[in-house]
Amino acid sequence: MRTLLSIAARSAWNRRLTLSLVALCIALATGLLLTLERLRADVRASFAQSVSGTDLIVGARTGPVQLMLYAVFRVGGATNSITMASARALAEHRAVAWTVPIGLGDSHRGRPVLGTTPAYFERFRYGDRQPLQLAEGRAFAGTLDGLYEAVIGAEVARSLGYRTGQRITLAHGAGGMPGSEHADKPFTVVGVLARTGTPVDRTVHVSLQALEAIHLDWAGGAPLPGMSVPADQARKFDLEPQQVIAVLVGLKSRAAVFVVQRWVAQYEAEPLLAVLPGVALDELWDVLGVGERALQAMSGLVAVVSLASLVAVVLAGLNERRRELAVLRAVGAGPRHVLGLLTIEALLVTLAGSVIGAAVSLAAVALAGPWVQTQFGITLQGGAPSAAQALLWGAVVLAGMLAGLIPGLRAYRLSLADGLSPRS
Amino acid sequence: MIRTVLTAATLTLAALLAQAQAQAQAPQGVPVPGPVLGGGKASAPAKAPAARPGTFREIRWDELVPKDWDPMKELKGLDLGNLSDADPRATEMLKQLRKVWDNAPANPALDGQAVRIPGYVVPLEETADGLKEFLLVPYFGACIHSPPPPANQIIHVLPQNATKMRSMDPVWISGTLVREKVDSYMGAAGYRMQAQRVEPYVERPR
Repeated sequence: MRTLLSIAARSAWNRRLTLSLVALCIALATGLLLTLERLRADVRASFAQSVSGTDLIVGARTGPVQLMLYAVFRVGGATNSITMASARALAEHRAVAWTVPIGLGDSHRGRPVLGTTPAYFERFRYGDRQPLQLAEGRAFAGTLDGLYEAVIGAEVARSLGYRTGQRITLAHGAGGMPGSEHADKPFTVVGVLARTGTPVDRTVHVSLQALEAIHLDWAGGAPLPGMSVPADQARKFDLEPQQVIAVLVGLKSRAAVFVVQRWVAQYEAEPLLAVLPGVALDELWDVLGVGERALQAMSGLVAVVSLASLVAVVLAGLNERRRELAVLRAVGAGPRHVLGLLTIEALLVTLAGSVIGAAVSLAAVALAGPWVQTQFGITLQGGAPSAAQALLWGAVVLAGMLAGLIPGLRAYRLSLADGLSPRS
Repeated sequence: MIRTVLTAATLTLAALLAQAQAQAQAPQGVPVPGPVLGGGKASAPAKAPAARPGTFREIRWDELVPKDWDPMKELKGLDLGNLSDADPRATEMLKQLRKVWDNAPANPALDGQAVRIPGYVVPLEETADGLKEFLLVPYFGACIHSPPPPANQIIHVLPQNATKMRSMDPVWISGTLVREKVDSYMGAAGYRMQAQRVEPYVERPR
C-alpha cells in the first residue's frame, strides 16, 4: 500500500503541471462551497442574534419583513412614521410592560443614526437576552442639557477611531454631500458600546429630542434661508418628538402577544402594524431561502465541473501512461494495483485541491470579516470550520475519490499486451 | 358589507357553539369544531388520573378550556336572530364577545399535569442553537390571520434544549403544564410549559 502511494505520488509529480491546474479548479470550487456555507450560516446567526426579548415591533403599515429590516437591521428605508400619540397609547395598554420608541433616517459618515430614549440601553436585548454594555463612558442623559450627546456602537468607534469626547456632525438622509450636514449642531460622543455582533455596532445613538432639534430649521425639507436656529437656541423650542419610526414593545406576559398584535392592527386613529420578530425572521428566510438554494446549487455544480475535469485529465493521461502502466504490470502489479494507483492519484489531487480551497476560504473570511462587519453589520466567524463546512469538505474529497474510479476501471480492463505492443 | 355579514355569521356561530357546549355538558369530551391537530381517535380518556412520572397523558386542545365556561354568559337574554347586519349593536356585541374570548380562563384541572399535546410553533426567542422560547397554537396560521386563538388556547413553551424549528412547524410537546397566574391586569391568562421533549409532529398510523 505504501509502495503504491509513493508510486502514485511520484507519477503524479511527473505530470504536475496538468494535475496542479486540476487541483486549482478543485481548490476554487471547495473555497466557493465553504465560503458560501460560512456566509449563509453567519448571516442567519447574525440576524437571529440581532433582537431578543422584544415581543413586538410596531410601525407604520408596511410588510412585516420590511418593518423588521429597517427597524432592527437598519436595511432599507422606513415607508412612513407613526405619531407619538399612537406610541403613547400603546405604552398605556394594560398588557404592555415597556416600550422603546426609535427614530431613523439620518446618518453619520454612512453609519445609521438612531434616535431613541435612554430606556433603550436598559431594555434592548440581543443574542441570548444579553443587555447592551458600555465599553466606555455613559449613556446619553436624554435631558435638555445633554441634548447633543451621542452613544456610538463598537464598530463605529473602531472604524472611525472615535473615543468619548469626539465631536461629530450628523448628516441628513444618507449624507455624503456637503450641505446635507447638520454641521451647525455638532454632537459629543459620551459613550461607546461594547461589541455585540449586531447592527447596534454600526449605529450612532442620539435622543429623539436631538433629532427634533437638528431638524428644526429643515421644515421645508431643506435648510430654510434665514431661518437657521443656533444650537443653543434650539433648546427653547418644543422638542417633544411628534413622530417616531417604530416602537419596540415588551409585554408582561408573552401569551398576550396576539391580543396586543390585534389591538395594534385594529387601532383606529392610524394604520399600524405589529410584527413578532421571530415570525418576521422566518418570513425573511422564506424569501431568502430560494436565493440561498440557487447559490448552493451553483457552487455544487462548480464542484461537479471541477471533478469532471479531474476525470478528463486522468483519463487523457491514461494514453500517455500506457507504457508506464504496462511496465508496472510486467514487473508483477495486478490490475487491482493499477486501479488503486489511479484512484489514489485522483484522491491526492482532490485532497491537495480541497485543502488549499479550505485554506483560501478561511483566509478570505478572516480578511473580509472586518469589512463585512463595517459595511453590513454581519459578524463572520473566523477560526475553526463548522460541522456543515467539514461535511461539505468531506463530500468533495469522497466525490474526488469516486471520480478516480472511472479512469481506474478503464485502466483495469486494459490488457497487458495492449500497453506493450505499441501500434503507433 | 362583507364585514357586517361576517359579524352576523360570527355571532350566530358563537350562539350555536354555546348551545353545543351546553348540550355537551353531560357526555365527556366536546366534539372539536374543524380540523385540529391531534383530534379524533388520538385523544386519551379525559378522566385519566395524574400520569406516572415519565409518562405524559395526551390531551386535546379543547381540554384546555374549563368545562363550565360559557362565553355567552354576558350576552344572555339578547335576541340575536332579530339583529340586522347593519345594526351597530351587533358590532358592539362582537367586540364584547372578543373581549370575553381574550380573557378566557385556563382550566385549573390541568395545572401541574404531565401532558403531551400537538400544535404549531410561533417563534419568540431565537438563538444560534435554535428556538429557546415559543408559543404553541392549535391551528395553522394562528398568528397571521385574525382573529387569533384566545389566551387559553396558547401555550408558552420553554424547551429544555434549544431546538431548530421554523415558524408554524407542527410539533408534539411533552412536559408539565402550568397555569399562569390569572391576572386580569396582564391582559391574558394562559398556560406555560417547561417542555421536556419537543418532537416533530408525525401522525400516528391508525
